[in-house]
Amino acid sequence: MTHRCLLQMVLLLCFSTTALSRSYSLLRFQQRRSLALCQKLLRQLPSTPQHCLEARMDFQMPEEMKQAQQFQKEDAILVIYEMLQQIFNILTRDFSSTGWSETIIEDLLEELYEQMNHLEPIQKEIMQKQNSTMGDTTVLHLRKYYFNLVQYLKSKEYNRCAWTVVRVQILRNFSFLTRLTGYLRE
Amino acid sequence: MLLSQNVSAIGPLNLYPMVHISLVFGISYVAPVLSDEHCTLKMRFRNFQSVLSWELKNHSIVPTHYTLWYTIMSKREDMKVVKDCINVTRSFCDLTDVWVNTTDMYIPQVVGFRENAKLVICMGSFFLVPDKPLDPPEFEIVGFTNHISVNVKFQFDSPGILSEELQFYLAFIEEHAGNSVKRHQPQITGNITKNFNYVIDKLIPNTNYCISVYFEPKDPRKINRSPLKCTLFRPRRESESSESATIGGIITLFLITAVFISTVMILKRIGYICLRNDFPKVLNFYKLSVWVFAELPPLEKVATVEVIHVNRKKKVWNYNYDDENDIENEAAPHLISGGYTKHGLTGKLCPTSTTSPSLEDCSLEDCSEPSAEEPYLPEPKGDAETPMAPGPGLWQSEGTSGGYQTRGTLWQDPTSEEDSDSTEGSEGRIVFNVNLNSVCVRALEDDKDSEVTLMSPSCPEETVELEDLNETESSVLVASEEGTQLPFTNPSTECPRPQDAPSDKSDTSDPDVDMGDGYIVRQVNLKKFN
Repeated sequence: MTHRCLLQMVLLLCFSTTALSRSYSLLRFQQRRSLALCQKLLRQLPSTPQHCLEARMDFQMPEEMKQAQQFQKEDAILVIYEMLQQIFNILTRDFSSTGWSETIIEDLLEELYEQMNHLEPIQKEIMQKQNSTMGDTTVLHLRKYYFNLVQYLKSKEYNRCAWTVVRVQILRNFSFLTRLTGYLRE
Repeated sequence: MLLSQNVSAIGPLNLYPMVHISLVFGISYVAPVLSDEHCTLKMRFRNFQSVLSWELKNHSIVPTHYTLWYTIMSKREDMKVVKDCINVTRSFCDLTDVWVNTTDMYIPQVVGFRENAKLVICMGSFFLVPDKPLDPPEFEIVGFTNHISVNVKFQFDSPGILSEELQFYLAFIEEHAGNSVKRHQPQITGNITKNFNYVIDKLIPNTNYCISVYFEPKDPRKINRSPLKCTLFRPRRESESSESATIGGIITLFLITAVFISTVMILKRIGYICLRNDFPKVLNFYKLSVWVFAELPPLEKVATVEVIHVNRKKKVWNYNYDDENDIENEAAPHLISGGYTKHGLTGKLCPTSTTSPSLEDCSLEDCSEPSAEEPYLPEPKGDAETPMAPGPGLWQSEGTSGGYQTRGTLWQDPTSEEDSDSTEGSEGRIVFNVNLNSVCVRALEDDKDSEVTLMSPSCPEETVELEDLNETESSVLVASEEGTQLPFTNPSTECPRPQDAPSDKSDTSDPDVDMGDGYIVRQVNLKKFN
């Protein structure tokens, strides 16, 4: 009985590994397409950053994000999922002072939601396997970064320049996400 | 001169030209335009080369030179001037080596001057996003004996951006062979600046291969492939080695096949495999006729044997010849003349056969053992039909099939304890053949002195003539009811009579004469016993 279960577990593990390998390629393709669309939607939001130079602030983006080549595929999944989740959280806040189109925001939120749905099964599986990795540390640093963003918006009372500055930060996040997606290849 | 004349007549009339000149200078001063609407900034980011260009919308304002400054949005930093774009007369600026961070937003500021006056200030915001897919790099292909080398040349002059960004723009090499396309993904490290070399092996000889190189854009839907460059892979030296390898492979395969076949043949030869199933014909049971009509074994030759029972009482041979007591029993011991000891014949029916007169089964007891045997005195039967034989027994010769007769007479021991009446009642007659070579026979002679008839008083006398026992021809003793004379060998030859004539002497005193052939003759006067 034990041997039978062991064999089944081994087969399931091999199959899951194969399935994950295949899903990484598909996930990478989906991520790249979705991120390109999100960036396009964000650029459609009117904004003049050159006029908000005084509102600039250093929100302390994690340094490891700038050296993403160190990430493993599993770490990249965790970080990508966290970033998408935080961006989704920020864009659901009050942006009325910006004059942005709600349709564009909704499309953007929908795209983010679909990306998270694609990543969630893999993200949960990785969370169950890994105890403490570089991805977990980066996620903690990212949470602090996004907390600063939210606090900035609140302090600026969600004014136009504050949202402009945050928009720029979100665009930077998508650039990082594009890099991380590139590490999902086999 | 005009000014000096205007200055001498200074009065109210002389002050008018000075004021006029002052107003002219005031009008000619133009304040700088600080608005994006008056400028159009364009950023071209291609092949990792970023070029910022600007164009004034109001053509009436024509600066004589421009200066470019920039800053970033991620940090609160002051404007930085681009060294290569200070007081430039052109309306563009190459920022490839300046703007290297593709994740940050750059805020450029273009200031148009006319002489030292700022005429226009234009600002913008840009991310380094390629507006078009990366142009495919230049490459060269070289065909070798066993592989094709692809030398990719990067046309990027910015090592900084190349090391950081190129790894995210995956380079692919497509291998076209017929209708099949295989994509190779070379590993590009950050140190690569100019070019790199990629080797494509495991190619099919005598096949046309076409190579294409391109960068994978961030948008997977936009791929800018390079034109195909083809070469015919025709290995030269390797072809020979491949041919030799092919020949060696064929030879090896042939040897393996030969070894296998020889092994199978050996195993078949020794009977380990493929056992023979061709059984001998005798084991062929498919012939039903054999099953149904089995050949009967040859019939045995049956010979009829006529057995003549002669009841004789057992008689103890007593050599005391002085005793003249009569013997009550009918089976008075009859002594054979010449001193032969008669032995009881214990014959059995022998098969009647005309071809094989082997009658060893019907052999008589050897007459060379006289003392050990009880004397056998034939007792003639009352029945005339009973054939009597003078000798100790019946004989039968073995011979050819021609002279072989199947009838013989079996004598019963006259000294048997059986009632003599049984002899009278024995009607059965057993006829068998006696091998004359195995018995000693003696012809009955009409000799008063020594001869004694072998017949019992109750039996008719019969003279038996025995043939020479040495003769191989059959000498048949036929006992019949008529009392046929039986051939009788001359005892003088086979069983030569002893030289000494028999006399009324005790048996013990009678000398034994060696007749030769193992026979011992005893001369016994049997008259006393009659």
